Amino acid sequence: MSALPTLPDGGEQAFIDQTVTRNLGRPGALLGILEAIQEHHPHKYLSAEVLHYVAAKLDIPLARIYSFATFYALFNLDPQGDHTVCICRGTACHTRNSRNLLESIRLELGLGLNDDDASGEADKLSLTTKDGKFTVRTVACFGQCALAPVVEINHRICGHVNERTLQREVRALEREAE
Amino acid sequence: MPRIEDIGVFNSVRETGMGKLVPTVPRIAVGMGTCGRGNGAEGLYHAFAEAIDHSGENFFLTSVGCFGACCQEPLVNVRVPGQPLLILRQVQASDAGRIVHDVIAGNITPDLVYCKVEEWDHITGVIRYGHGYPEVPAWSEVPFFKGQKKIVLRNCGLINPDDIEEYIAVGGYQALYKTLIDAKPEAIVEQIKAAKLRGRGGAGYLTGNKWEFLRKAVADQKFLICNADEGDPGAYMNRNEIESDPHSMIEGMIIGGYVTGATQGIIYVRAEYPLAVHRLRKAIEQAHEYGILGENILGRGFKFDIELVEGAGAFVCGEETALIASLEGEAGRPRPRPPFPAQKGLWGKPSNINNVETWYNIAPIVTKGPAWFTETGSAKSPGTKVFSLVGKVHSTGLVEMPLGTTLKTFVYDIGEGGVGGRTIKSVQTGGPSGGCIPHEMFDTPVDYESLAQLGSIMGSGGMVVMDEDNCMVDVARYFIEFTNSESCGKCVPCRVGLNKSLRILNRITTGGGRMQHMETMEELSRYIRDCSLCGLGQSAPNPVMTTMRHFRHEFEDHIVAQRCQAGVCTELALSPCENSCPLHMNIPRFLQLYKEERLDEAFDSVILDNPLPASTGRVCQHPCDERCRRLTMDASVNMREVHRFIADSVLLTDRFEAAAERLAKRALEHTGRKVAIAGAGPAGLTAAFYLALLGHDVTVFDPLPEAGGMLRFALPEYRLPKPALRREVELIERLGVKFALNTRVGTDISLNELDERFDAAFLAIGTWKESWVYLPGTELKGVYPALPLLESVAKGEAVNLGRKVTVIGGGNAAIDSARTALRKGAEVVVVYRRERKDMPAIEEETEAAEKEGARIVFLSAPHRIISDAKGNVKALEVVKTRLGEYDKSGRRKPVLTEEVQRIECDSVVLAVGETVDLDFCKASGLQIKSDGTIEVDRYRLESSRPRFFAGGDLVTGASNVSNAMAFGKRAARAIDEQLMDSDVGRWASLFPKMQYEQTPPKDVSESGRHTPHEMTVRERMQSSAEVVMGLSAEDSHEEACRCLRCDIKVTASR
Repeated sequence: MSALPTLPDGGEQAFIDQTVTRNLGRPGALLGILEAIQEHHPHKYLSAEVLHYVAAKLDIPLARIYSFATFYALFNLDPQGDHTVCICRGTACHTRNSRNLLESIRLELGLGLNDDDASGEADKLSLTTKDGKFTVRTVACFGQCALAPVVEINHRICGHVNERTLQREVRALEREAE
Repeated sequence: MPRIEDIGVFNSVRETGMGKLVPTVPRIAVGMGTCGRGNGAEGLYHAFAEAIDHSGENFFLTSVGCFGACCQEPLVNVRVPGQPLLILRQVQASDAGRIVHDVIAGNITPDLVYCKVEEWDHITGVIRYGHGYPEVPAWSEVPFFKGQKKIVLRNCGLINPDDIEEYIAVGGYQALYKTLIDAKPEAIVEQIKAAKLRGRGGAGYLTGNKWEFLRKAVADQKFLICNADEGDPGAYMNRNEIESDPHSMIEGMIIGGYVTGATQGIIYVRAEYPLAVHRLRKAIEQAHEYGILGENILGRGFKFDIELVEGAGAFVCGEETALIASLEGEAGRPRPRPPFPAQKGLWGKPSNINNVETWYNIAPIVTKGPAWFTETGSAKSPGTKVFSLVGKVHSTGLVEMPLGTTLKTFVYDIGEGGVGGRTIKSVQTGGPSGGCIPHEMFDTPVDYESLAQLGSIMGSGGMVVMDEDNCMVDVARYFIEFTNSESCGKCVPCRVGLNKSLRILNRITTGGGRMQHMETMEELSRYIRDCSLCGLGQSAPNPVMTTMRHFRHEFEDHIVAQRCQAGVCTELALSPCENSCPLHMNIPRFLQLYKEERLDEAFDSVILDNPLPASTGRVCQHPCDERCRRLTMDASVNMREVHRFIADSVLLTDRFEAAAERLAKRALEHTGRKVAIAGAGPAGLTAAFYLALLGHDVTVFDPLPEAGGMLRFALPEYRLPKPALRREVELIERLGVKFALNTRVGTDISLNELDERFDAAFLAIGTWKESWVYLPGTELKGVYPALPLLESVAKGEAVNLGRKVTVIGGGNAAIDSARTALRKGAEVVVVYRRERKDMPAIEEETEAAEKEGARIVFLSAPHRIISDAKGNVKALEVVKTRLGEYDKSGRRKPVLTEEVQRIECDSVVLAVGETVDLDFCKASGLQIKSDGTIEVDRYRLESSRPRFFAGGDLVTGASNVSNAMAFGKRAARAIDEQLMDSDVGRWASLFPKMQYEQTPPKDVSESGRHTPHEMTVRERMQSSAEVVMGLSAEDSHEEACRCLRCDIKVTASR
């Protein structure tokens, strides 16, 4: 086993070590470890250094860790914005126009519609504004179909959302930041 | 916390729990599932806490899960000792105070009461609340709950999910106790097998068999896994089950563990369900504390533990081998089977994976036995299933019904039909692995087998209802987008095939589709289905295959006609209003031109899209009003009135000449081709207009003395003044169209003669024959069929209607007859066999009739007409109806009751419907459909006889003016294409490229919608001048300024 790399942030490294110890040997260990590390980071993501470190610590090839981290939609490899707006793209929400909600919030936050590839909507969308204040993402289904259309803003589920109410919520957050 | 190690402690814990469930003080329980919270339940809880505190009285305040009626959240249970449990719905924080007050005073809160529960069967136990509140319906009488049988959901919404003692109070963990005491695991397996319980995750494999395999496997460790990775969009049953009653699952798993020899359980739950995760953690913790999990469970020496693992957002991990891979720290890619998990599962050890809902059925089966279980459901699929009924249906929520219940029951009885008066089109079942079942097949029972025959599956139980505003091509595209995104990528057919299918669907929905794409998709779908390793790929093509099978014409519309009727695929339409208009008028254009005060050009824009703008401006059924985006702000733009104003301003003034000349100049060179049109009604006139512009030599035949068809001879003067119509006809004459009036095609000139003399013919004779109705007494004096009556009045002939007129029917002919009779001074009653909302007549016409004094009697079917001694009408006897089952049209069939009523009258007008008079085409070679209309090619409008085209009511059955005109317009284009053997440019060249403002308006008027003045009722009775007087120039202009210009599509850039 080669020498462990060290992380710039000593506190983070200690956290990772504890998490690994706690989870090792359990079913779904890697899921739990990465989920905990991501949640612990202020910007809710897994940096390249962290992935390197975890690979070395667990003695698993980096390629496998990377495959794992990129396979699951929950893991972010880029820093997330201070606020997260997650639009549900489930069937019930789709029949009640969640696509338009997504378009309108992207327009509102300047996350232009020209960035998608030719196959239509980028899958597992996750876009962050340049100033790092907002991340807009989608989820396949929150399972809140009776509240369609649903938007989760900073882990708070909002139901029966329309373009206006969404705009209002986002603007309130923008004002808070100032 | 007492560790339960003997029956004594068990019973005392149960008693403690009972004391909370049915306390000696009033109990208020707030529904706190995620749905409840999303509707403000947390604030509600605090409001109750405050109100109770304030009152100084003793209450037991707690929270429960979700009872299933999500559309009624927030739900609150209120129970006063000795009385039934009351369920209140849509409770707001501001209601808390008065509810508490009411409880103290011994009252119920009538406006919030939903239903009551006097006794509840928890399957593992029974709770008796009390009798009372006779005025409140029992829960099982409420439409949403009628027919539901709560086995899986037995505890949801009634007990506190965070309190194991309440679970034990209703009989929880007794089945486990019994299992451990009896110590006969094989017997339990036999019970599960005898119950024929099938996996509720979708595959439907026999659970008993799976358990037996695991039991027989020999290994040092075995795993039991619960698949709580409910990823199907539209399905949230598992979420509710876990959030509301986590212990049921735990109990099921411990029993399963004991029976199969597994000592480790794992629950794999989606990360998107944070509350469910939280509840499970708490429940597992409590179970440990009470000695129900861990070492020496219930003192019986059995050891079992449960680990909770959160998923990370991959739908494919719902597939069992992918789930196992995920638990092992790999990407969730499925693995080939065999070996099956029962042989080699997690880390190579024998494992069993069951869906959440399967586990919830275990305790009931162990408690009540397999015979009880098989009493419900069907022979091959016993038991119940929980479905999530969502989408465009009135009552959404979670519904637990016996397997084998029909779709119709779900949608119309439990769901109570569509929303906003929209017609339901289909139900999508089984999530992305399932398919869409069209309305005509709603009699299909819902179980594992029946849906499969239609190309769908029951799946996890998602049921998304779709109506006429949903585009089925878009639905197919939506699901492929989903499965393409969630594909793990391992198999080429799935990874590449789904991507290709998506690209094709994207092209079809944006106007680049070709018929050959349909074949390609069919082929692709077969390969993907047959060559993929796992269930995701194997079932992903189902949505595409079922929509192509059951809704083929929607695909064809997108490809051939480049239209999306539902208005969803926005690239195929200019704007929602334009899309909904049968003539596809460029509405934003004429509004803008008029806004810019360019009246003549606005008129040109209008007339080229709509040759009868003054008539339609008065009588069109205005579908645009329901689509206008302005509706989301205040009210839609009154487009019909504006184009009426524009038309009147030119047609009825001295601007007419110049307009006619401009129009004539637009005509193309004479082609030398001759076209005959049978019928000078809206369809015929419209076809004549365009064919003349295209340079053809047109002759219109009509049996009546003037052109206009029903516009001239059925619609009364006070709705449509004839001068305006005459000017519209004159405009058409000025294009060179010849009219051969008083000439009936079929009698005065045969179809064969038309064939000889003309190069093509368009048949548009409409539906002028009164539908026959079985009604004794129609031979009496004083009975008038509606159309001949209206025709006589329109011709100015004297008509002797009596003083008391009864009109039978609910369509426009009935209302027109009623209003005509009122103007002759009669007392009028209209009799209709269904309800107001089912009437085909335009709503504003019906309202006008009532305003003018007509009385409408609903739910009454004509029985017989009674005569006096001289053979005159004396009265009409009607039988009251009640609405029964839903029929294929989505309306409820009227069913006769025993109640008979008599309406005294001296005249009866029959307006029950119109049909085609097929005399004209006897032995003509024209194919006729079973309903008596002419069969034509859907897009080219050609009939079975070459060069004979048809359109309007003749093809659709009785409809309306604008729909008929739409046929005329399309037929003209199709005929021209055939005659000139080209489809390039000729049609398009008719329409001008007009220059007008193309940027989004900054000065949109904030005014409300303008409506035209109407004559007072007294004035109406004294003159036949038109009742609706039109907008003024200023109001029309202001109205045009309200348009949001949805036709301007701007690509967003930074």
